[in-house]
Amino acid sequence: MNLTTLSPRDRLWLFIAFGAAVVAAMMLNTVIGSVPISLSELWSIIGHGSDSANADILWKIRLPRVIAAVLGGAMLAVSGMLLQIFFRNPIVGPFVLGISSGATLLVAMVMLSTLSLGFTGVSPHLNTLAALIGAYGTMTIILLITANIKSGVTLLIIGLMMGYLNGAVTSILVAFAEREKVKQFVLWQFGSFSGLSWQELFVLLGLGGLLLIGVYTLSKPLNAFLLGEEYALSMGVNIKLFRFLIVLVACALAGLVTAAAGPVAFIGLAVPHMARLSLKTSDARLLIPGALLLGAAITSLCDLVARQIFSPVEVPISAITACFGAPIVIGLLLKRKTSL
Amino acid sequence: MRTAVLMKMQDLGVGYDHQAVVRHISQEIRQGQFVSLLGPNGAGKTTILRTLARLLAPQQGTIFLDGKNLQDYRQADLARTLAVVLTERNFFGMFTGFDFVALGRYPHTGFLGRLQPKDILKTQKALHLVNAADLAERYFNELSDGERQKLLLARALAQEPKIIILDEPTIHLDLKHRLEVMTILRRFCRDQGISVIASLHDVDIASKVSDIVALVRDGRIIGWGPPEDLLNEATVTHLYELNAAAYNRWLGAIEMKGDGTAGKVFVVAGGGTGTTMYRLLAKQGFAVTTGVIHENDIDCYVAKALGATLIMEKPLEFISEESMGRAQGHLNGNTLVIDTGFPVTGINQSNLELLKLCLAEGKRIFTLREKAAARKLLGADYQKLVFCQDEIGILRALTSHH
Repeated sequence: MNLTTLSPRDRLWLFIAFGAAVVAAMMLNTVIGSVPISLSELWSIIGHGSDSANADILWKIRLPRVIAAVLGGAMLAVSGMLLQIFFRNPIVGPFVLGISSGATLLVAMVMLSTLSLGFTGVSPHLNTLAALIGAYGTMTIILLITANIKSGVTLLIIGLMMGYLNGAVTSILVAFAEREKVKQFVLWQFGSFSGLSWQELFVLLGLGGLLLIGVYTLSKPLNAFLLGEEYALSMGVNIKLFRFLIVLVACALAGLVTAAAGPVAFIGLAVPHMARLSLKTSDARLLIPGALLLGAAITSLCDLVARQIFSPVEVPISAITACFGAPIVIGLLLKRKTSL
Repeated sequence: MRTAVLMKMQDLGVGYDHQAVVRHISQEIRQGQFVSLLGPNGAGKTTILRTLARLLAPQQGTIFLDGKNLQDYRQADLARTLAVVLTERNFFGMFTGFDFVALGRYPHTGFLGRLQPKDILKTQKALHLVNAADLAERYFNELSDGERQKLLLARALAQEPKIIILDEPTIHLDLKHRLEVMTILRRFCRDQGISVIASLHDVDIASKVSDIVALVRDGRIIGWGPPEDLLNEATVTHLYELNAAAYNRWLGAIEMKGDGTAGKVFVVAGGGTGTTMYRLLAKQGFAVTTGVIHENDIDCYVAKALGATLIMEKPLEFISEESMGRAQGHLNGNTLVIDTGFPVTGINQSNLELLKLCLAEGKRIFTLREKAAARKLLGADYQKLVFCQDEIGILRALTSHH
């Protein structure tokens, strides 16, 4: 393989293409469904307001879901990119490392146990808080275990084991939980961007947006970090602060999405690679917007497939993302000579 | 010309977890000096370098860089003064040679690391200085170890430091790149005025490029000074605990001793005709005795370094009766004799007599001389010689004779 570099012009075109893909995916997700909404109807609902049944579907079901998928995908992709740079390992992502399952476990505790007694129903914000705690808890354990481990494959296995452990505890909680709560939890755990209220969306949009902007300001140290901690240190990076910030942001992004949509597999792992390979660079200043746009477009399309492939039955979104994500992991493992 | 002191170590002790590996280092490194750390594996060379680069905290003592305590530097200020080249050459990610070298501009660029025209210029200059302009557009992970190492040097240079610290910069490199890297580092010192401190494994290369060599052994710096003063057979043998090889300061190289189990041979040589023969014989395990050799003859240096038994004569003097006597003493029994075809001049005339004596005693002599020349020198007896094409030919004849 002899790679040639891309000119800034080529990259600009790529970004335009990514952006167009996001817009196209959003449009498709808006108009396609069990109740099709034509483009002209879409314009009239958005433009002039309408109180038709379709307007209700659009405002209460379609649009929140479209926005959630785009936002969730972007956040997962950037979270995965951060983790890959942090561990300098191409086969990690929030799902593979067990961060998503850690978030799931804590959400299970809230949804299934009596912890939620005293609340009317399950507060979405409590879910969010639980997911964040679960994500940070798992990440902390992984960091403690891997403090002296350099091998990428070992890290991968430790992440898988963390996933199993979290899953095991979650299943015990499920076994002891009340039927009605289990049903609710299982639906959530399937993973779906549906059912979010506008209020939840605004929280996701606000926090997620801030975090994504924050990540971009870390571009410079992220690039230095590619050479390893010692080189980064020797170039003037404040390593302790920087490590803390990456972990903080990566787990927050993954935790927020998990709280909102349940665990979504492989987006965080596969998308950064697709961005890197298409832009042909690891420069964070290009990779962050690239991963963000690609994550949004791909997650959005996966959500469309999940909704439509066995319509009217909806399959979990992870079923779709895993189908293209898992082969990418295998492929990377097979030809990892240059990266690990 | 003595330049200003750039780095000063004061009773420095380096190590891990309150355990000093090397202690009591009190030395100075001057601007533009090339300092090589030599010593066996595990002696603590890397630990010293990591401490000087502030990747490790000193266990005792102080390091001053440009007059200021190293520990008091802000990370960004240190990055503008000191750059490192570590042994790792595999990096995660996709970047071109240019991108990689441009990372060296890190301490000089703004918040998002955007390259200004002067940064681009300096990156290109660094690429040129390490002969790597052609690697600018190639992807780092597709390059060979040697090419990557050049980019690592350029990256360090792009940082515009006053000192570059390198851990085994030539490890895993082929000969061409090993020499190229050393040439580039010399250039950094001489043309850019940058001080270079590196751990090296090749004593011979280190002796030829360094201004100062530091010998690290047994938790101490056992020597610090110009290689011309410091490196000789005794110090190098002690430093590495050599027993099957020896360093020769005149050759500036290491010679491998034979184990002497393949049999005894006596080589009559001189004027440099014996060097190839000695090395070949030592390699094949022959115990070599050679004589009579003049002291300033290259044959003398090589034979000595190889651990051969030497019968020496003072430089530029006629071979004495006494030396002849010692040579004959070694020619007892059925010793095999090799004649390297040495030029016969006035002062080594006796070596010819030695050959004649051997022939008279019926000893087998393997020679590299032409038949006509041999007849002229040895008379009718010349036919008893075993004529060989070259050193390999002699070796074949020797082994078949056995």
